[in-house]
Amino acid sequence: MTRRWLIDNQGLFFMAPAMLLFVVFVLYPIFYIFNASMYDWDGINQAVYIGIQNYIEMFTNDRSFGLSIRNSIYWTFLTIFPQMFLGFILAYILTSGIPLQNVFRIIFFMPAIISPVVLGIIWQRIYAPFGGLLADLGRETGALFLIQPYIADPKIAIFSTIFVNVWQWTGFSMLMYVAGLQGLSQEVLSAAEVDGAGTLQRIIHIVLPLLRHVHLTLILLGVIGTLQTFALVFMLTKGGPNHATEMLPTYIFQKAFTLQSMGYASAVAVVLLVIALGASIFQVRVLGSRFTIGN
Amino acid sequence: MYKKVFFVVVLLLILAAVAPVLAQDEVVVRFRSWSPVINTTNAMIDAFNAENPDITIEPDITNYPEYLVDLQTMAAGGSLPDLIGLEPGALTQQYRDHLMPMQECAVATWGEDWEDQFFPVGIEQARLGNPEGDDNIYGLPVLVQTINMWYTVPVFEEAGVEPPTTYDELKELADMFNSQGVAPVMIGAGDGWIRRDVYMQLIHNVAPGLIYEAEDGMASFTDEPFVEAMTWWQRLFDDGIFQMGALGMTHYPAAVEQIQAGRAAMFPMGAWWMQQAGNPDPPPLDENLSGYAPFKFPDVTGMGAPDDLLGGIDVMLGVTRDSANPEAACKVITDFISGAGAQALINTYNDLPAYIGLRPASFGSENQEAVWDLFTEDWLASVQYARQLKSPDVKQALEDALAAVAAGEMTPAEGMQLVQDANNM
Repeated sequence: MTRRWLIDNQGLFFMAPAMLLFVVFVLYPIFYIFNASMYDWDGINQAVYIGIQNYIEMFTNDRSFGLSIRNSIYWTFLTIFPQMFLGFILAYILTSGIPLQNVFRIIFFMPAIISPVVLGIIWQRIYAPFGGLLADLGRETGALFLIQPYIADPKIAIFSTIFVNVWQWTGFSMLMYVAGLQGLSQEVLSAAEVDGAGTLQRIIHIVLPLLRHVHLTLILLGVIGTLQTFALVFMLTKGGPNHATEMLPTYIFQKAFTLQSMGYASAVAVVLLVIALGASIFQVRVLGSRFTIGN
Repeated sequence: MYKKVFFVVVLLLILAAVAPVLAQDEVVVRFRSWSPVINTTNAMIDAFNAENPDITIEPDITNYPEYLVDLQTMAAGGSLPDLIGLEPGALTQQYRDHLMPMQECAVATWGEDWEDQFFPVGIEQARLGNPEGDDNIYGLPVLVQTINMWYTVPVFEEAGVEPPTTYDELKELADMFNSQGVAPVMIGAGDGWIRRDVYMQLIHNVAPGLIYEAEDGMASFTDEPFVEAMTWWQRLFDDGIFQMGALGMTHYPAAVEQIQAGRAAMFPMGAWWMQQAGNPDPPPLDENLSGYAPFKFPDVTGMGAPDDLLGGIDVMLGVTRDSANPEAACKVITDFISGAGAQALINTYNDLPAYIGLRPASFGSENQEAVWDLFTEDWLASVQYARQLKSPDVKQALEDALAAVAAGEMTPAEGMQLVQDANNM
């Protein structure tokens, strides 16, 4: 190793610490999980190599896995876009100069800083058809339609769970849009107004396109959030009834620790990783990468 | 200034060098579990240390899901603590190779006839799932339990009724309580374990002992008795025996809050419900257990309810092979089972002692004492069959099937087919 070589390649030494961390904390766990997915293993005792049997089982004979995928798709579309839509409306109203708008911003943002564990416990009490807030309200006021098995009926449980998530994170979307709206050029908006554009036209043709970086950021964070959803579902429904609200992370936990199938759980984790990679590539290649983060 | 800094650094270096030598005189036993809860564990440790000041116990009590993760991580890293909490069956079997057989410790403490000093259910279930020919006990039972039904005394007194003994009586009571806005049988059926507990009592009524034969492949889960028990389970929902929306509620804490508020007439639970009286600032019904009384699951078949109850081990403790102080760990375990630590534990009414003859130092009410005596002198001695199943996959399949049938997604026969499929794997 000559002095010349060291000078030519000094960049490697600056990269080394980051590369080391990447290898230890990203590449090694991925390899470890992928390797574990090829075994029948309880996480403790001797593992038995079974090749791709876990994957075959998962894709051909595992209803719970299928439901987890279905629910992830529901979750992605039914949380991200409603949150963005509601968040934008709130943000637009709360940047229009109405009285107490800062107070309202705080109130709408508050659910985002509450732990999903706490929310899960609270919303279970709100939803309970016996002794729950909605049910008791329905009985007291005669609005009996409020008495529903919100999270007890497998047909609607996932939507009830998604509603809680939307309720929690709409305030965060609102905050992002507030920041975006405050950064818009007033000259552009005034010019549009002078040109005769109405409020709706200004929103559709000027404001929304100019907020593209906020939309992309919220989609990115929404997809990440969907793939990581665990605490809210675990506390609210435990993935039930009969896996109707199962998400991939809750299913991985159940398989790995409750059912002592670490090998199978690793296989599900690999699928989750592939989905995350695919979603990331799709976002960067198709939607572009002009996110708010990092700017 | 530099002299002061130099002095402090030298002092720290000396302390760092001497500390391990000093620490060698101190025997430390690391204890990790999900049960008993930390306040009770601390009381047990205080009682133990009053007689054994030379042993330091370092407890780490977490909730059960977190405990499972931690245990597996520590086992993979070769850093299991000295003492770990265990459940009989799958959990103990998973860690069997990391656990020391406990017979030697037991004989040294209680003598050759030590097994006779425990309730039989504790000893039998400690071996649950052992490979054939392996009679070792890898964890000693600390607390045992029955599963049964409870009723809320003031609710029953106000209605002027008695606990039901047949399904018809149960249905009659359910209709009455439903019309009064009281949950006839409050269940947090969102939790799989309570679904399974109720089904175990139903199949025990229909065909005692058959489920264990099915687990061993000597019967099929699709046999008629299993389907019949599943049909009874479905009827508990369809007939309004359980409160509306039961599948969307957890037993702890959601259902329990309703029970404590006096909004439930009956509820499935186990002997551990007595611990409500030991909680700080208990609500009126919990105080001295004045508001509750246990009863056996009603006879649904009409052929007569079995005399015995199902039961099992609440928590047992094992010493790991990694333990640096197995003798001290043995001393701690045996004290927690039958010594000062055990007495501190039992004084909280946490559950029933696995060791025969222990009794809380005091009772707050006659009802509480009567309930204790009923459990320890009558019901516990009659326990023949386990509350638990061996295989986690079968357990999960049964819990899934119970949820699916209750939700109307499967017929009872389809549900039991799901369980049989899991047993075939």
